[in-house]
Amino acid sequence: MVFSADSKVLVQGITNSLGRVYTPLMLTYGTSILAGVDPGAGGDTVAGVPVFDLVSQALDAVGDVDVSIIVTAPYAALDAALEAIAAGIRQIVMVTDSVPPLDMVRLLRKANATDTLVIGPNSPGVIVPGQVLLGTHPAEFYAPGNVGLISRSGSLTYEVALQLTKAGIGQSIAVGIGGDRIVGSSFQQWLQILDEDDRTDAIVLVGEIGGDSEEVAARYIAEAIDKPVIAYLAGRTAPKGQQMGHAGAIIASQFGDGGKELGTVESKLAAFEAAGVPVGDRPSAIPHLVRQVLQSQNCQKKSTN
Amino acid sequence: MDLLEYQAKDLFQQIGIPVLPSQRITSTQDLKGLKIPYPVVLKSQVYASGRAKAGGIRFVENTIDAVAAAQTIFHLAIAGQEPDVLLAEARYQPDEELYLAIALDRSVACPVLLGSRAGGVDVEQALNQVQQVIVDQDFSPFYGRRLALGMGLEGPLLQSVTSIIEKMFRLFVQRDLDLIEINPLAVNSAGEVMALDGKVSVNDNALARHPDLVSLSPAVLPARRRIREVLPPGMSLVELEGRIGILCNGAGLAMTTMDLVVQAGGKPANFLNVGGEGVLEAPPDALAARVEAGLALLGADRTIKAVLINVLGGVTGCGELAAAIARGLQSLSPPQRSACVVRLLGRQFEAAQAQFEDVAVPLYENLDEAIAQVVAQSQGKTG
Repeated sequence: MVFSADSKVLVQGITNSLGRVYTPLMLTYGTSILAGVDPGAGGDTVAGVPVFDLVSQALDAVGDVDVSIIVTAPYAALDAALEAIAAGIRQIVMVTDSVPPLDMVRLLRKANATDTLVIGPNSPGVIVPGQVLLGTHPAEFYAPGNVGLISRSGSLTYEVALQLTKAGIGQSIAVGIGGDRIVGSSFQQWLQILDEDDRTDAIVLVGEIGGDSEEVAARYIAEAIDKPVIAYLAGRTAPKGQQMGHAGAIIASQFGDGGKELGTVESKLAAFEAAGVPVGDRPSAIPHLVRQVLQSQNCQKKSTN
Repeated sequence: MDLLEYQAKDLFQQIGIPVLPSQRITSTQDLKGLKIPYPVVLKSQVYASGRAKAGGIRFVENTIDAVAAAQTIFHLAIAGQEPDVLLAEARYQPDEELYLAIALDRSVACPVLLGSRAGGVDVEQALNQVQQVIVDQDFSPFYGRRLALGMGLEGPLLQSVTSIIEKMFRLFVQRDLDLIEINPLAVNSAGEVMALDGKVSVNDNALARHPDLVSLSPAVLPARRRIREVLPPGMSLVELEGRIGILCNGAGLAMTTMDLVVQAGGKPANFLNVGGEGVLEAPPDALAARVEAGLALLGADRTIKAVLINVLGGVTGCGELAAAIARGLQSLSPPQRSACVVRLLGRQFEAAQAQFEDVAVPLYENLDEAIAQVVAQSQGKTG
């Protein structure tokens, strides 16, 4: 697994409202936050975590870190991420939302060239229940278990997680890949991570209208994923051409007025059907579907034993 | 934010993309001081496309014709918009019309160059002829040459079109654009190119770092935008056509709630996302206050007959949220309040139940039950 209780963490933007609320919550969950960075706030502390003006100063003082969590203002997010990459950090969680798309284009080119995993922006980050919280997931909604959860949303991920937890189904890891139009890590990357993860037996994918990441994920599931996948899709009844709260949740022509329409619910449902992925019609239907695939998986295991 | 044609052409001119001599016309009086020699084309400056087909573009030979045409265009609504400004432009005789555009391809997270020899009004019919080149590394003119060659251009025209693409790309990046389009790029018999019409759309999230472009935003906003502009930061509103007002925190939860209401036979009037708890401009410790403010916004809309509040507290406990909702319910009209349903999810649900003992509004933890209840309420049943 990419993240564990041993992950050493930096928080960039730590002195703003998000940093001040979530740093103590992550520390309480057991996350090892060694330092924070905020230009101009060097010398401060947040929840006992020392704050530095530069990432390189922070690493000089506390040693190398594995993950940086970025909660800066939107226009400072690109700079923060580039600074983290320059300092050798190869895992970045971008909680910040509304980052200009061309900033993300630039960042992702750098991330590809340096083999850096960028999660988000507009992401609640990652939680490994019982081990580590890297972001803003409400920890009490989760319980340790064997179901991986990947989503484009924050709030809806929490809803689905709690439905699973209440049904007695724990989670191995939950990640929000982000609701902005251009995001770093993709559904397929996480499908691959979860497929290789020993603690994960089934995967729940929570998609929404807009873009084509569900279609790409569905094709990838059919080709490369051995573990059972359940999907849910938000925005089925959304009108066309309106941005539905997330910058990325819009059914629109691909390029201005031209090009094919991208992001429709019909296209996504068809892709999941073609890949043999069951789609829950409501969050409360998901636990039942998960239990079904886990049971049939157990039967298969027994029959092959 | 979309720009009007004349605003887009100002940007073209600044970066060195050739445009025709032109003049802004804000009233028919302006035509008397026209500095461009006739014949002239008058063009309605509205955001809608298809202006030519709608009669918003007219060719005139003299002042008398021009005044009559301008009066017509000023009063011609295209897709519901009447222009405040016309653009008077020299007439141009192209031999050929090309289509060029740059957009962001979200599937590959890269800019994409688009071009076709079938430009002008034909391009929407000829989309299958549009060539695409993905700019997967730092831009360099060879990407433009690749597109121009793909379009079937050669010789001097290959060079001049490549130079236009280069300038378009510079604008695209410098100005944080979602889209830049020249259609048509006219080519005359001498092989010279000229941008006859242009579309520019600035990314909304990047707009604040381009103050000169912010000032171009229209004084009178289209109705839907107007409501959005008064929303506090971090809130968003989607307007629909039914009777049930939906208040949620978080876009994914709001979309799902809307879907479930429709699936249960209800008709949402809107959904108001007061913001999740991970948004900098709407910090988590202000969630309760935002829920209360959101209810005031819903209460002011008297087309709403029933209200569903579906809020998830991560940082904020259900007790605090319930107290804020109880206060916010005062902003609803009595009929709205009597058809209101609350669903809360998070820690300390018991504290919320205690808060709601004296409130005559049903409180649920189960989402499906809350949905069924509000749909029944909106249909005049008491569930």
